[in-house]
Amino acid sequence: MLILRQLRKLNGQQRLQLGVEQTRRSMADAAQKNASFQYDKDPQPLFTDAETQRLLQSMTQLQLEKVFRKRTVPDNSTETKFMTTAQLEKEFLQTIEKAKKLLQMPPVVQIKQDTEHIISKDPALKDFADTKYVFTDITFGLRNSERKIVVRDADGTLAYAPLETRKRMNQLYFPLEGRRSYTPRMFTHDDLLQRCLDEHKYEFVLDRLTVQYEPYEAEFHNFSAKVFAHLNESKEFDLLRSTRHFGPMAFFYAWHRCIDDLLYDMIRRDYLHNAVELISLSYKIHQVPVDYKPILSQLEALKPTPAQRALAELLSCLKKPAENAIEHEIQTAIGKTEQDFAADEISLKFIEQYIGSKHALKKVQLELAVQTLKEVNLEKLQLYQGLKKAHGVQAS
Amino acid sequence: MSLSPASGIGRFYKHSAKIIRFVRLGCTNRPFYHIVVMERRKNQHQPVIEQVGSYDPLPNTSNERLVALNTERIRYWLGKGAHMSEPAAELLGIAGLLPVHPRTYMTAWRNRRAAAAATAGAATETTEKVATA
Repeated sequence: MLILRQLRKLNGQQRLQLGVEQTRRSMADAAQKNASFQYDKDPQPLFTDAETQRLLQSMTQLQLEKVFRKRTVPDNSTETKFMTTAQLEKEFLQTIEKAKKLLQMPPVVQIKQDTEHIISKDPALKDFADTKYVFTDITFGLRNSERKIVVRDADGTLAYAPLETRKRMNQLYFPLEGRRSYTPRMFTHDDLLQRCLDEHKYEFVLDRLTVQYEPYEAEFHNFSAKVFAHLNESKEFDLLRSTRHFGPMAFFYAWHRCIDDLLYDMIRRDYLHNAVELISLSYKIHQVPVDYKPILSQLEALKPTPAQRALAELLSCLKKPAENAIEHEIQTAIGKTEQDFAADEISLKFIEQYIGSKHALKKVQLELAVQTLKEVNLEKLQLYQGLKKAHGVQAS
Repeated sequence: MSLSPASGIGRFYKHSAKIIRFVRLGCTNRPFYHIVVMERRKNQHQPVIEQVGSYDPLPNTSNERLVALNTERIRYWLGKGAHMSEPAAELLGIAGLLPVHPRTYMTAWRNRRAAAAATAGAATETTEKVATA
């Protein structure tokens, strides 16, 4: 009996130790993950680069019904007007501009380090008051970043305020709409954030994050990394497509070498030119010696930019049936034009090259996706040619 | 009492003496000051020429006292020859906008002396206690 009890006790201890070991290991893993999700050098020059921006914007796409969808705001009212065709065309152009503005990406920049900058040290002022004083310059017309905010400590030191105090004072005297003076519970309680993520409210979290924090703050980086990591596991990338957060997300994955899931999603949804852009972006960031520029320029010639595509979509309701109406109808029925087929061929070649290289991690999955897409494309092409022949449209 | 705009509604003579001073707002047991420019001869609650800042003398939850100063306008009025009340001058001195006011040094020195006396008193008390025991 005694021996048995002793044995049980020993076993229990062992189990406890094992448990501790496991939790320690998992924590270490998590810490490692977090550490690896930091930008190791300043990503800003690469992110604001004109070519990168163009790639990211093209990947984001511009789906008007998603950009101008109903939001949870007090006023979702619409206005109905009579207009001439010229006025309508002008209105369409303005709409595209507005959509572009709504899709502006929050910048990806390095975390700003707090530096101490002492203006004067006066030991004779020690104990002049029992608390410190914070002075904010409220001169009219200054930007938040260039406003002078200084702190006089109780020991008489006058110094520029640390970033945290700066933010607090700016918010106090010049409040930003939507930003809270206290941290929203979503960002203080892990379980609440986790619940939002599990319900796939990625855009909500990212929008709130963008309002609440500045892009150079550590919290901004940590929370967005968390959201993107969760998104990479749930693979609901389409929720962010055509929102302002898609670009930074793609940049994040490209930077941290985990583009494969996003790539798979793009191939599956038949956004092959986006897949090529994503691969090129990753090559560009990691300076892989693959010449992607000629392929990008070829694709650019074949594919319209998102803005052009959206504008064409808007203008299509104005157009009168032209002489090549049947060809147009065939194209809309199949969803692809001859140019699209040509572009797909170029992109598929590039993507297969990527899958064959050592940079791809989920090769089997990607290969399968490419294979199915190829088959579907082939079917479509045959159907397209057949329809054209049947209608007697001149093959070009 | 209704608030007047920061640009002020007070009327003033061109060559009258102006002063940068506090106006006590807030309520009983909860002081809050506006830093304003007004004619020297006027009562603090009369219309001001311009409000140039605010001062909250009660420490907030982070244990700091908050002061807002429109430095551009303060410098303008000082250049125009405006006077300063003593508390306002002290505050501007602490802010580093002007040289530190002598009274601030005096307060600091008195506070230090009081603190030293308190510690010395406590020390003697403990020694006395030890001696009696």
